[in-house]
Amino acid sequence: MVIQVFRVSVASTIATALAWLLVSTSLAGQEGGGGPAGFRAAPVAGCPQISRLFWPCAKAKAAAFNPPRNPDGTPNMNGAWNPITANGSQNIEDFAGDAFLGRQISIIVDPPDGKVPYLPQYANKRQDNWDHYIDPIGSCYYTGVPRQIYGPRGQAFIQAPGVFAIVSEFAHQWRTIPIDNSPHIGDSLRLYMGDSRGRWEGNTLVVDTTNLTDRTWLSISGHFHSEALHVTERFTLIDPDVILYETTLVDPKVYRQPWTMAMPLARFEKGHEVWEEPCFESDHDLPFLLMEHKLWLGLNPPR
Amino acid sequence: MRSGAGGASGLGLVAAVFVVAIAAFPPAFAQTQPAGLPRASDGKPDLSGVWEALTTANDDIQDHAARLGVPAGQGIVEGNEIPYKPGAMAKKRENAAKRETDDPEAKCFLLGVPRTMYAPFPFQIVYSPAYMAIFSEYAHTTRSVFMNSEHPPGPIEWFMGDSRGRWEGDTLVVDVKHFTDQTWFDRAGNYHSADLHVVERYSLVTADHIRYEATIEDPSVYIRPWKISLMLYRRKEPNVRVLEYECYAYAQEEAVRRGELGPK
Repeated sequence: MVIQVFRVSVASTIATALAWLLVSTSLAGQEGGGGPAGFRAAPVAGCPQISRLFWPCAKAKAAAFNPPRNPDGTPNMNGAWNPITANGSQNIEDFAGDAFLGRQISIIVDPPDGKVPYLPQYANKRQDNWDHYIDPIGSCYYTGVPRQIYGPRGQAFIQAPGVFAIVSEFAHQWRTIPIDNSPHIGDSLRLYMGDSRGRWEGNTLVVDTTNLTDRTWLSISGHFHSEALHVTERFTLIDPDVILYETTLVDPKVYRQPWTMAMPLARFEKGHEVWEEPCFESDHDLPFLLMEHKLWLGLNPPR
Repeated sequence: MRSGAGGASGLGLVAAVFVVAIAAFPPAFAQTQPAGLPRASDGKPDLSGVWEALTTANDDIQDHAARLGVPAGQGIVEGNEIPYKPGAMAKKRENAAKRETDDPEAKCFLLGVPRTMYAPFPFQIVYSPAYMAIFSEYAHTTRSVFMNSEHPPGPIEWFMGDSRGRWEGDTLVVDVKHFTDQTWFDRAGNYHSADLHVVERYSLVTADHIRYEATIEDPSVYIRPWKISLMLYRRKEPNVRVLEYECYAYAQEEAVRRGELGPK
């Protein structure tokens, strides 16, 4: 990758630098690099930030927490939220860091090895993606689901009667989640953000997403899925300013088993507004990036 | 046919309904509320839902005759005249001539305000008391309307501008500024500068209709403010969803197929 990018052009290098800026804001939420002991040392809501430690701790907190509520009695998650440990979705597995992507501690909590359980035939596909394709969000496409939640920058949540909406600062993308027992749209309709439907299980918002395409990735590093992907997300307040976010991915065409990511979403400072990011409108570097890398048109691209 | 007696009993019924209405609502609301509008929990008309305009204003916001591929349409501009400054009309004509390449819609760019509101795509309004979002199917456009707050200090140039909302009685008033000069009003090349200032008024007239009015002000381009007015219709289909029109993704895919984009 290093050699490739330097071989392309100055413009491409600038584009890479811009991509870095794109993802770097979430780094500010971390306690520097340093050794393993110092990495993300600051607890959040009294729990360690590292996902495999955060997960059981946060679940215990959630069980004992009575959250602030909206007038209709639902837990109040209105506001803007920052996935502080996800590094803008550079990686989701353990990664030592290199010239392009930052150091990452896995946000995968199941399976316990913290790795995406790819079927054997896809063992090398992520590396192939990284080597030959542009991350779809580098082309300003929708992040897809669940990457919307842990992708670059933060999200604003809007709770309205019968609907939960998520607005991303990244590329002005959005998702609405009806909470009204309505059925999913027709199976042949495929959307970058899929079709999400929500329900409350106690104090947890559970979101079921189907109708996804295979046009989105799960990380800049090239983790992927097919259009058989079925995503379940769980949002639970564990203190007034921290949400436990859990998401389980089922895709029998690509993964050996269901797998789960978990991480904290921390409330931005009061008054934080999600502002416009006209991504494609100002994306002048894509033609240069595309000199050596291909557009990702899906795991099974149309001919 | 109506007899005097019938009219009297009709009046009696109206009076009875009025008494019930006053009893059912706190006095502050009873004075301003027409009966029958759906209301949000704050007592204001409920604008949430999926809406779409039914004009041909995206083709041309002024009266226009039909031509191949473009239906005729009655304009949405009050008085039908856009008061361009002397000399500013030339730019509009130039835009119209180059619309197939220069129209922001042809480039898959964000359409700006007010064009997003009458472009031929549905949009969904979702809001909490402090924050209203308008989500359009076109290129995953989000308009964020922050309620009862101030514009941030400029200079800022955003495609969708910076929107600040407040209620004036039963009308939502949204003040929008901090625009780029890169959006148009329509395919006919009507345009503005970065000095554009839009004041929108959303009035729910029935449960399923919003009267949408906007005052357009831009002293760099027009000699005076002017107004547009149109109706927004609620999409009533069961299970209706705002889907996706990922304009530039499709354009790039086509370019790859033609061999115009991507590694050689």
